[in-house]
Amino acid sequence: MKKLLAGFTALVLAALYAPIAVMMLFSFNESKYSVRWTGFTVDWYLKLAQDTTLHRELGNTLVLAGSTTVLATVLGTMAALAARDAFRGKRLYSTLIALPVMVPDIVLAIALRALFDAVHWKLSLVTAIVAHTTFNLSYVAVVVSARLQGLDRSIELAGQDLGASPVRAFWKVTLPAILPGVLSGAVLAFTLSFDDFVITYFTTSPGDGTLPMRIYSMVRFAVTPEINALSSVILVASLALIVAALKISKVPVAGGGR
Amino acid sequence: MKGRFLSLLVPPTAWLVVFLVVPTAVLALAGFSTEGVRALAEPVTWLLFWRSFRIAVVSTALCLAVSYPVAYYIAGCGKRWRAILLFLVVLPFWTNLLVRTYALKFCLDPLGWSSTESAVVLALVQSFLPFMILPLYSSIEKLPRRLLEASQDLGASPARTFWSVTVPLTLPGIAAGCILVFIPVLGIFALPEFIDERTPMVGSQINLYFMKNRNPGAGSALTLILMVLTITLTGIYSRFRKSEGLV
Repeated sequence: MKKLLAGFTALVLAALYAPIAVMMLFSFNESKYSVRWTGFTVDWYLKLAQDTTLHRELGNTLVLAGSTTVLATVLGTMAALAARDAFRGKRLYSTLIALPVMVPDIVLAIALRALFDAVHWKLSLVTAIVAHTTFNLSYVAVVVSARLQGLDRSIELAGQDLGASPVRAFWKVTLPAILPGVLSGAVLAFTLSFDDFVITYFTTSPGDGTLPMRIYSMVRFAVTPEINALSSVILVASLALIVAALKISKVPVAGGGR
Repeated sequence: MKGRFLSLLVPPTAWLVVFLVVPTAVLALAGFSTEGVRALAEPVTWLLFWRSFRIAVVSTALCLAVSYPVAYYIAGCGKRWRAILLFLVVLPFWTNLLVRTYALKFCLDPLGWSSTESAVVLALVQSFLPFMILPLYSSIEKLPRRLLEASQDLGASPARTFWSVTVPLTLPGIAAGCILVFIPVLGIFALPEFIDERTPMVGSQINLYFMKNRNPGAGSALTLILMVLTITLTGIYSRFRKSEGLV
């Protein structure tokens, strides 16, 4: 029985990884009609390197993910810290925080799009940053809350009793204690923002495209080795990010999303 | 203390009111417009909801069937292997969903296997597997082994032990996994278009209304229904979870 389960698990893992491996392999294939292997080449990567539109899209993706990470981490940490106290309407507050994570991403995307259209806010990277911050704030709040649960509040209060101002107590006691949680939240926000397609697609203008949007339009057009190369680059970048994050902050990998 | 609490509470709350509550109100207004109501009267709308619902049910069931043995196996492994296997299960979902779907499409196309509804389901199961395996794993891991031993000592067959002890005790994990898979699949967009253009789901129709047909009223109405459906489901789920704790 145990052997059977082990075999099945191996099979499932193979099914998860095999397509990615095959796709990466074929990004080095010479043939334009990617089905048969004809020879090794790095031409497709060189082509990507010369694609100036792609450079702009990479820049957009990084600006979007970077700004979102800063905003969502600050707001999400605040939300988690406020949720430590008991207050009236706390249940409503918790529901509000959890809502962006509860609904499918297209719902949040369309609701924000409806707002932007209604107030004639021109779609750009800024509107996309607003949308990304809204859903990532929730993820950060959840991750930081989990960390706060293990924190002994009396240490913080002791700091204040010993004469530290609340601000100083926060910087010297609370923040260092929750920093791993905050960092995990930040990494999660950056990753989710970097990889997001649906929310970006509905809340930015086509002129401010990101890498996932590029993948989307390329695949709708045709399957080419260039997409394989671009996909491989994006995958390797995500993996490098997550491995680096694991090294610095012992991120609970199980906290990922979308 | 009070001032500090408020300075922490107000910014995120204000953000969520402006960019979540207000947009929802705008969405509701747009959804109840003439175009919105007209879209709801169209049979094709309900056909799409039915298809999305059907695909979500089938994908969730398959996810569960595939994930349970995997989670069971991982939970029974030693500490080191457990960490490695969990890492391998979770790793793909830190990467781009479209890229993973594209990789699958790239492999299915030459086999002549894409462009069917079952290929869409396969892609969905593959993409959402980690969402099912993780909650199942944490449920199975907490299983008191002595209850299983007791059941066997009292003469129950392994199958009977599994269905009468293991499954009921891991029900919270099963429910959590099903919710985590079902909801995003119901509102999925882009993945079905990649695999099979002819299997449109609700998400594709919303996109069509907003980006091509310039009919945001109809798109908003569909989104609103999707929102009500998913929030209702989550509400039922959290009530169910609470009664779990009381029993």
